[in-house]
Amino acid sequence: MTTSRLPPAVFTLKQFLQRQKVLGLYRSMLKTIRQVPDDADRKYLRNWAREEFQRNKNASNQDAIRMMITQANMHLDDLRKSLALAKS
Amino acid sequence: MASVILVRCVRGARAVYHPALCLRQGGGGGVRPAAAAAATTSLLARRDFWQQRLVQAPGNAQCVQWRRFSDLPPLTPESIQERVFHVLKLYDKINPEKLQVTSHFMKDLGLDSLDQVEIVMAMEDEFGFEIPDVEAEKLMCPQDIVKYVAEKKDIL
Repeated sequence: MTTSRLPPAVFTLKQFLQRQKVLGLYRSMLKTIRQVPDDADRKYLRNWAREEFQRNKNASNQDAIRMMITQANMHLDDLRKSLALAKS
Repeated sequence: MASVILVRCVRGARAVYHPALCLRQGGGGGVRPAAAAAATTSLLARRDFWQQRLVQAPGNAQCVQWRRFSDLPPLTPESIQERVFHVLKLYDKINPEKLQVTSHFMKDLGLDSLDQVEIVMAMEDEFGFEIPDVEAEKLMCPQDIVKYVAEKKDIL
């Protein structure tokens, strides 16, 4: 494991993969939010995403984390669909 | 912004050729050569294209540049570093005094991986090109970012 996002604590492989998934999710979320046309909406959504991810930063139960990932994916899909509708 | 400059440039160029407006330079006959001479001297006097700004109204031919290049200023490692620092200073979780070229985001500046993601996104916005995930997670200090951008832009 040579990536440098490795924190001081050591992870099992599953935890490590989950962590990478969460970070990738955060990235996709930010990228999608970037496409929102209105500036105020964009700021609001960015703050919302930031708050949500930061709040659950210290969760350690893998199942809970998995649920949160699913929820985040749902939010992301909602956002993408609304953007697609708004553009058409 | 480039479009504003281009519009001004066109207006300016048209103003120079417009005989009625050139009357402001003084004299009816021989207006065109006078205006052209004024324009060429101003062109020779100011060679620095991208620092040029049209200060006065388009009608005044003395301030008009004949040509404008709408390209961005050339990227140098120093300018990249400046821009990277500028973006980082705007980030609210970073203390601007502690910021060095080699300050590690997580170890020295106390940021976490979510912040690192945000920083890389901000860099993508600043430099206008996508950074893939694989590369993005390796960028851990401003030095890395400067090196990466320079590589991508083929200037190192």
